[in-house]
Amino acid sequence: MKKYVAKRVITAIFTLLVILLVLFILMQLMPGSPFNDEKLNADQKAALYAKYGLDQPVFIQFFRYVGNMLRGDFGVSYNISKNTPISQLIATRLPVSIAIGGFAVAIGAVIGLILGLIAAFRHDTILDTICTIISVIGVSVPSYVFALALSYQFGYVWQVFPMLYNSAEALNSSVLPSVSLSMFTMASIARFTRTEMLEVLGSEYMLLAESKGISGASLIFRHALRNALIPIITVLAPLIVDLMTGSLVVEKIFAIPGVGSLLVNAIQSNDYNVVISLSFIYSALYIAIMLVVDILYGIIDPRIRLAKDNG
Amino acid sequence: MFHKKENTAAALAVTKNNYVPVDTDFVFKDNAGEIEIDTNFASQSFWKEVVIRFVHKKSAVFGIVMILFITFMAILGPNMNSYSYSGQILEQKSLAPRVQGLENMGIFNGDEKMHTSTGIKVVNNYKEKGFDDVYYWFGSDNFGRDIWTRTWHGARVSLIIAVVAAIIDMIIGMSYGLISGYFGGKVDMLMQRFLEVANSIPRLVIVTLLLLVLKPGMVTIIIALMLTEWVGMSRIARAEMLKLKEQEFVLASRTLGAGSFFIIFKEVLPNIIGPIITQVMFSIPTAIFTEAFLSFVGLGIPVPECSLGSLISDGFNSFTTHPYQIVSPIIVMALLMLSFNLVADGLREALDPKMKEM
Repeated sequence: MKKYVAKRVITAIFTLLVILLVLFILMQLMPGSPFNDEKLNADQKAALYAKYGLDQPVFIQFFRYVGNMLRGDFGVSYNISKNTPISQLIATRLPVSIAIGGFAVAIGAVIGLILGLIAAFRHDTILDTICTIISVIGVSVPSYVFALALSYQFGYVWQVFPMLYNSAEALNSSVLPSVSLSMFTMASIARFTRTEMLEVLGSEYMLLAESKGISGASLIFRHALRNALIPIITVLAPLIVDLMTGSLVVEKIFAIPGVGSLLVNAIQSNDYNVVISLSFIYSALYIAIMLVVDILYGIIDPRIRLAKDNG
Repeated sequence: MFHKKENTAAALAVTKNNYVPVDTDFVFKDNAGEIEIDTNFASQSFWKEVVIRFVHKKSAVFGIVMILFITFMAILGPNMNSYSYSGQILEQKSLAPRVQGLENMGIFNGDEKMHTSTGIKVVNNYKEKGFDDVYYWFGSDNFGRDIWTRTWHGARVSLIIAVVAAIIDMIIGMSYGLISGYFGGKVDMLMQRFLEVANSIPRLVIVTLLLLVLKPGMVTIIIALMLTEWVGMSRIARAEMLKLKEQEFVLASRTLGAGSFFIIFKEVLPNIIGPIITQVMFSIPTAIFTEAFLSFVGLGIPVPECSLGSLISDGFNSFTTHPYQIVSPIIVMALLMLSFNLVADGLREALDPKMKEM
């Protein structure tokens, strides 16, 4: 187990370093220098370069850069809001994005699980077909199509929920974005739950449990679902990460002041610093979540761990 | 097939008298009616069975019909009326859909509902502005461009991007996976570590960074899709290779002196083409989605070209006042993605009937 965890952690750290290297190279390739003011003379520029360590050899700059990024010092924004530290920009926006993404995951996981269970227990009936149709549509139709449809119907025609995000009534205005984001999660979870449940239900230990006289809720939840859950959890993890990145357009549609819309704005106004910082944060989050899931998976299912240790 | 006409006792007697049999002693049983082929257990060729299973799945057939229809419209649609995808007629901007013939039946007659402070009002801009002989089948956009033409032109661009990207992904991912799986050992280890690192970088980050460096356009989008989508394909190719490389036909080929690359591409590849086609079918809708997403973020195809994504992103700005501007590209895109997914699902089941995947 220790060997397995160590291997995963080392891979993760290495990946993070590679990403930092790529980002650093990109920073070097970007046109212009940070000090473009025409009033500066050569001496002043040299002083500024010395102050920010830009006169050092490139690899020392790289280590300095890595240190800064890891400490959360991302530099300042050039275009979006001049000279505001990026960490400050992100700090106000990250919670909003996480809240909406969290709602979406919760809604998607719960409804998806229920749909999947219904489909598996009523296999080959009309209910199964309906659940299948819902999940195929959910997987194939992009989230922002749902977002537009929901915002038109509920926000504009019926005016049940606000069309645009309003921080004064955060809960109410999170409903539509969360629901539209949750569709993909819901559909994927429903598909996997159905497949896994069908497999579990056909297994011999379920037959044993049934012949022991266990029935109803205990049979479903304690015996069937527990075994089906392991693969479902691993599917859910990358979905959470996808939700963070996939929420970009939905955030734009509902004008949510989240990280996604910050990234979109930064791209559109060529604020490289912000784009690169956000790329780093996304990558770091992604790697962290994948690492946790890999390790958790190893703990939950010993077969994986042993296979990977030997292989 | 033959049976003797005379009974055996008589036949024996004749034989003893040195009788030489002639042809007329035998007749055909004429049992063609009794011979029948048992279709239930008849053995068909693999691909014939795949086709039969595929056709039996209604959703997959629906998918393939939709794909063919949209492709057909993407080729011919833009030429079906006199408008061009980039031509602007500013006086005729934001006109609701109007179709000859259907307009007399009360639908597609150019009416649109306006939400005003006093309630909902129906207006018909064609009549008000005096365009009696003007027809925009899907309406016109804010610059007076025909949405019918633009939708099908956009579908064409989106399809080209998606299909080209999927094919390039297939070639790269397949070769990578096959080589990694075939050689195994150190080569496999190195290639898989590289893949792990590449896979840990979020897709979005790769795409945005790439677009910061390159100019937005069709080629850039294809490169971005290429860099992000090959991983899944290479995993599948590698897994299939690991399954097949220990089999006898590979050993036989090697014994006959075949080189590694001959075995990989001529012996193993034809055997795993099924799962690979399925994966291509799954990666096309992903590519369409990513392209649309990039357009929405403003990194899509530059004007005056249009794709489904850029049409949706244009229509979004006025989707409450003129919903028809966004409806047609959205429906085409959703149908396209749905159809590709249905076909991929159907193919997967047809190729591997044991699988219980939904």
